[in-house]
Amino acid sequence: MKFSDMLRTAFLNLWRRKLRAFLTVLGMVIGTSSIVVMVSLGIGMREAMIESYSQMGSMTNITVTRWSSSVDANGNYTSTEKDLTKKTVEQFKLIPGVEVIMPRITTWGMVKSGRYVADISIMGIDTSVASEFGITLAEGEMPSARTTGGTYDIVFGSDLFQYGYFYDPNTGKQAVDKDGNPKVTWDSRFQLTFDSSNIYGNPGDSMEGRTPGKMYRLNATGVTAASGNEFSYYCLMDIEALKKLAKENKDFVNIDTSNYNEVIVKCTDTDAVESVNKTIKDMGYGTQCLQEWIEQSEQSIKQTQYLLGAIGGVSLLVAAIGIMNTMMMSIYERTKEIGIIKVLGCRMSNIAGMFLTESAYIGLFGGALGLGVSYTLSIVLNKFLAQSGMHSSIPLYLAFGAVAFSILVALISGLYPAIRAMRLSPLAAIRNE
Amino acid sequence: MEQVPLIEVRNVTKVYHVGSVDVHALRGINLTINRGDICCIIGRSGSGKSTLLNVLAGLEHVTSGEIVIAGKRLDKMTQSELIVFRQKHVGFIFQSFNLMPYYTALENVAFPLSFRGVPARKRNALAREALKTMGLATHMKHKPSQMSGGQQQRVGIARALVTDPEIVFADEPTGNLDSNTSDDVMNSICDVMRAQNKTLVMVTHDPHMAEFADKVIQILDGKVVSIEYNDHSDSKKKTDVKQGVETA
Ligand SMILES: Nc1ncnc2c1ncn2[C@@H]1O[C@H](COP(=O)(O)OP(=O)(O)OP(=O)(O)O)[C@@H](O)[C@H]1O
Ligand SMILES: [Mg+2]
Repeated sequence: MKFSDMLRTAFLNLWRRKLRAFLTVLGMVIGTSSIVVMVSLGIGMREAMIESYSQMGSMTNITVTRWSSSVDANGNYTSTEKDLTKKTVEQFKLIPGVEVIMPRITTWGMVKSGRYVADISIMGIDTSVASEFGITLAEGEMPSARTTGGTYDIVFGSDLFQYGYFYDPNTGKQAVDKDGNPKVTWDSRFQLTFDSSNIYGNPGDSMEGRTPGKMYRLNATGVTAASGNEFSYYCLMDIEALKKLAKENKDFVNIDTSNYNEVIVKCTDTDAVESVNKTIKDMGYGTQCLQEWIEQSEQSIKQTQYLLGAIGGVSLLVAAIGIMNTMMMSIYERTKEIGIIKVLGCRMSNIAGMFLTESAYIGLFGGALGLGVSYTLSIVLNKFLAQSGMHSSIPLYLAFGAVAFSILVALISGLYPAIRAMRLSPLAAIRNE
Repeated sequence: MEQVPLIEVRNVTKVYHVGSVDVHALRGINLTINRGDICCIIGRSGSGKSTLLNVLAGLEHVTSGEIVIAGKRLDKMTQSELIVFRQKHVGFIFQSFNLMPYYTALENVAFPLSFRGVPARKRNALAREALKTMGLATHMKHKPSQMSGGQQQRVGIARALVTDPEIVFADEPTGNLDSNTSDDVMNSICDVMRAQNKTLVMVTHDPHMAEFADKVIQILDGKVVSIEYNDHSDSKKKTDVKQGVETA
C-alpha cells in the first residue's frame, strides 16, 4: 500500500466520524495546551532567573579569590589560602577556554570636593583589558598609572553624580541644587583620602601614635558608562597606582599588596565556564561564577518545572486514554470492514499502519491546535500575570516538541488498538452479523 | 481443454472446538480442481461447504492435511503469507456483497488495488474497465445504497476480478438475491470467468445454481460424496468417490 493512500484512507476514516474525531482531537488540544502552558511558565521562570543574574554580571566571567573552603569527610570546614599573583595569572592564561584575565584589587575611600564628600568603592584594574569585561566609559578616557606629584588618575562611577552620593558632612544635605541637578560633576576638583578623620574629625586628633592619612589630588579622566554590570558601581584606577596608595595607607586600608584581591577570568563562551571553573578550583582557589549560581537556582526551579509539567501531563494522559478509547470503539465498529479488507488483500502491517496513522492524525491536529491555543493563552497570561512576576514563554523547541510529543503520545495510545485490528480474523467479513 | 491441476486438497480435516465439544466440519477432503474449472460446492446446511471454501481461500487454517494451490502449500503459511498469497492469486465474492458503503462503485472496485500499491490513476482505469465488463458503465459514481442487490453484487464481482486473480472464490454469491436476479448474476459470473479463463470455486446450497457450473462437488458431513460434471449440452457424467479415488 502506498504511503499516500494510507494517509488518505486514514484521514477519510476519521472524517467519516467527524464529531467523534473532533471530540478526541479536542481532548488532545486541551492536553497539549495545558502541558505547553505549564511548561512555558516553568521556562518563563527560568528565563526571568537568568535575566536577573545576567544583570549582575557576565555569564562568561569567573571571579577567582585566594580563599577556598572545603568540607572534609568528618564534616570539618577548612579554609585554605593561596597566593594570587602575576605568576598565577600567567598560569590561568594557559587553561583552555580562557579568553582574557583581569586582576583587580578593591578598596574604599573618601572623595572630597569642596564642602562635599562621598564614600566610594575603588577598583584597581588592568585598564588595557577593561573593555573586554564590559567596563566602558561614558566620557573621557581610562586612568593612567601615573602617580607623579601625588596626583592620581581616576574614573568615577556613573552613579556617583547621578544619585547624589556627594553630601555635606556637616549638614547631611545632598549635593544637588533646587532642580535636582548634581552640584558636583566630574570636572570638579577632587581629593582622595583613606583616613576618615581627615573628613569627619579634627585634623591631628587621630589615634595615638598614628600618622594621619594623606590627602591625594585626584584627576578625573572620565566617567564609566551605566552598563548595569557588576563593575558599574566602582570608581576605576590603575591597579598599580591603587596598590601604591594602599601601601602608603596600610594603617587605614587592609590590603595585602603582594597579592591581587581577585582575578576575573573571562572564558571564550558559556560552555567553557564549567571546565575552566573546575580547573581553577582544583588548583586550590576559590571561585565564583554566575553560572554556578544559575545552576543551583536551576536545580530548585527544576522541581517546580516538573510539578508544572506533571499537572499539564495529567490532562494529556486523559486525552491519551481518550484516543485509545476512540480507536478501540472504532475497531469494534469496523470489525467487519477490517475483515473485508483483509480478505481483499490488505496486509497486516497496512492495517496496523492505517490505525496508527489515524491516531497520529489525532495527535497532529490536537497538537497543532493545542499549540495555537497555548500561544493565545500565553499572550493572555503574560498580560494578566505581568505584575505577579510570572511569565509564560514558548520557545520554538517547545512548540515543535509539543506537537511531536502529542503525535508520539497518540501513536502510543493507538498502538494497542492497531495491534488488535491487525490480529482480527478475516472470517469476520464472511460471517453475517 | 488441457487439465492442469490448480488446487489440490489432500486429506483435509477441520475440527472446531466449541467448549468441550469437537465439531468435525471437514473429515478428510480429497479433491482436485483444474485451471479454468467453473466448479460448485453443494451440500446441506452445516455440511462444511463454507469451511472448505474458507480453508481453500486461506482464511482459515486446516487441522490436518495439505492444500496446494499454484504449487504453494497453504497449510504451511502464516497469516501474513496468506494475505500476500491472496493478493497475488485470489479474488473473493461475498454473499452479502460487503461493499464499503461510503465508497462509490468505482472506489469500491479500485479499493483492493490500493492494497497492492497500484497508483490511483491506474487503479481507476482498471476499475472502470472491470465495471464496464459487468455492465455497470452508468453506475460508477453510485454508492452501494443507490444500487439494487444485483447491481451491488456485480460491483462485488468487478472488485474480485479487478486484481486479475487466477482463482475466484464465492460463498453463496446469490444468497441475498431473488431468483431472477440470481440467474442474471450467475450468468454474469460464469460468462466472465469463462471469457477470462479463470478458475471459480463457488458454494451454494441451491441445486439450480449448481447447474451453471461445469463441475459440481457434493459434500455431506464434511466429506465429498460425489463429483458431477455438467457439459452444458445436458448429458451428465457422474463420478463416485471412494476413499478419495476418482473413477471415471
Ligand atoms: N467458527 C466456528 N466455530 C465452531 N463451529 C463452526 C464454526 N464454523 C462452522 N462451524 C461448524 O462447522 C460445521 C460446518 O459449517 P459450515 O459453515 O461450513 O456449513 P455450511 O455448509 O456452510 O452451512 P450453510 O449452508 O448453512 O452456510 C457446522 O456444524 C458449524 O456449526
Ligand atoms: Mg455457509
